[in-house]
Amino acid sequence: MAMFKAGDIELEIDEDGFIQEPDKWTEGIATALAVTEGVDDLTDRHWKLVRYLREYYLKFGVAPMIRKLCKDTGFKLNEVYEMFPTGPAKGACKVAGLPKPTGCV
Amino acid sequence: MRKLFTPENNWTFLQPLLMSMEHCARCHTCSEACHVYEESGRDPLYRPAYRSEIFRRIYHKYIINGSTFSHGDVDLNWKTVSRLIELAYRCNLCRRCAQTCPIGADNALLAREIRKVASQEMGITSKECHDDGSMLQLTVGSSTGMNALVVKDNLEFIDEDTSEKTGIKVETPWDKEGADILLLHNAGEIMAWPENPGAFAVLLNAAGLSWTLSSDIAAYDGINYGVWYDDVQFARVAILHAQAAKKLKVKKIVIGECGHAHKALTVIADKVLTGDLNIPRESAFTVLHEIVKSGRIKFDKSRNDFPVTLHDPCNVVRLMGIVRPQREIIKAIVPENRYHPMTPEGIHNYCCGGGSGFAIMSGHNFSDWRHHVAGRRKFRQILEAFQGEPMDKDHPKYVCAPCSNCKGQIRDIIKYYEAWEKAGIHYGGLVELMVNAMVDAKPGYIDWEWH
Repeated sequence: MAMFKAGDIELEIDEDGFIQEPDKWTEGIATALAVTEGVDDLTDRHWKLVRYLREYYLKFGVAPMIRKLCKDTGFKLNEVYEMFPTGPAKGACKVAGLPKPTGCV
Repeated sequence: MRKLFTPENNWTFLQPLLMSMEHCARCHTCSEACHVYEESGRDPLYRPAYRSEIFRRIYHKYIINGSTFSHGDVDLNWKTVSRLIELAYRCNLCRRCAQTCPIGADNALLAREIRKVASQEMGITSKECHDDGSMLQLTVGSSTGMNALVVKDNLEFIDEDTSEKTGIKVETPWDKEGADILLLHNAGEIMAWPENPGAFAVLLNAAGLSWTLSSDIAAYDGINYGVWYDDVQFARVAILHAQAAKKLKVKKIVIGECGHAHKALTVIADKVLTGDLNIPRESAFTVLHEIVKSGRIKFDKSRNDFPVTLHDPCNVVRLMGIVRPQREIIKAIVPENRYHPMTPEGIHNYCCGGGSGFAIMSGHNFSDWRHHVAGRRKFRQILEAFQGEPMDKDHPKYVCAPCSNCKGQIRDIIKYYEAWEKAGIHYGGLVELMVNAMVDAKPGYIDWEWH
């Protein structure tokens, strides 16, 4: 499996670049993962979304419904795409250190 | 592979397997019927009969020790085996080839038998189907990773959202013992297309039906990925579905808009469920059709005043022959001049290109292949159906794809080819279109801006 390096930390990633050990996530890793998704600068708005995803994941063990994410954070879906061009499931979840979404989604 | 040909090890498909192994005239009528072969630029590797032929040669030479002179020769080595398995995952299992075969050989069934040997005997399958699919469903409760707590929380959110959008108070019933119907959604709908379970709740409530969802493990997710690759995993999930229905003492299980769930529970599960587990199972399409016929819900067609085309999920339409109910529904909710059938349609329609698990596979360059080869025919059919309409974003068009898997695939090809931006093409299920036309609901259930 491929490895992802951020500073001194080295983490396993799958073929789509999702980290395999979500517990080892740090804000530094998020910044480095964001670059792989074409986001060079994480603004406060980005962090608001990332922290929401992170908290939801730690509580429920799975990513939130995208509609719920939009309602709870107040971001419209197109705004999420503007922040993370590859979208909420692939881009934002990856940066927040969540595993790749599974099932028919 | 030897085990495939013994009744105790292949209680599911031995008979059609034997028939398909013995009978193929090599006429290649099936090639013309296969969208993967055609759209690959007619790559001979993708002929439906190609992988079957290799499999047959192995069978004749190594299993029944037949003559290689009459049946053809092949060396059994890793290269042959691994390439054969890969080829089995280049077929959508749509069975359009089996439908067209003049002698009834089922090449799609053979592709699945190859996947089955690979999974059950060698542990080779795709991560999306097994580890992140059927295993997750059996351990956590759903392939989406939702446990019972999360799914209830999500449904509560959907109830609120739907009530707000429609102006009709919606409450999803959970674990209601003695309800007539246990409704099985594909849990992907709950996560990615919440307007679908929301619309189901509105319609079933408005029609006065007695229904419930189950929060038992695996029973709030109608999917059964075993249909794609593994009989044992298939049986485990099918039994959990039936047990949940038995526990709630429902009269029947109704399957939502998920084609593979139709194939799994209404057709193949007949080989697994016996005695009091053999609970009646029905498609949502016929239930919805009955609702429309009964006149219990009033629809205003003029609310669906945009071009609509209808995709036919293979496992509901070709496999089960459910063709008319969804068309009768469309007739009742879409203005006549706004319905544009696909060509070909009904049982002859093509697969979306996401069948047999492809819609959830995206590792390496698989999505490229899915967009360029497997999904290409469907995309062309969609464009052709809307021919003559103004092709821009200001004129929204609706591809009605009443199956989660097809929806996922059609969403991906629409996005890949920028069909919304360039031609105003959007997609969704059947129940969403119904609620969009429902007189008692606030107008505008379909959200054209949600991409």
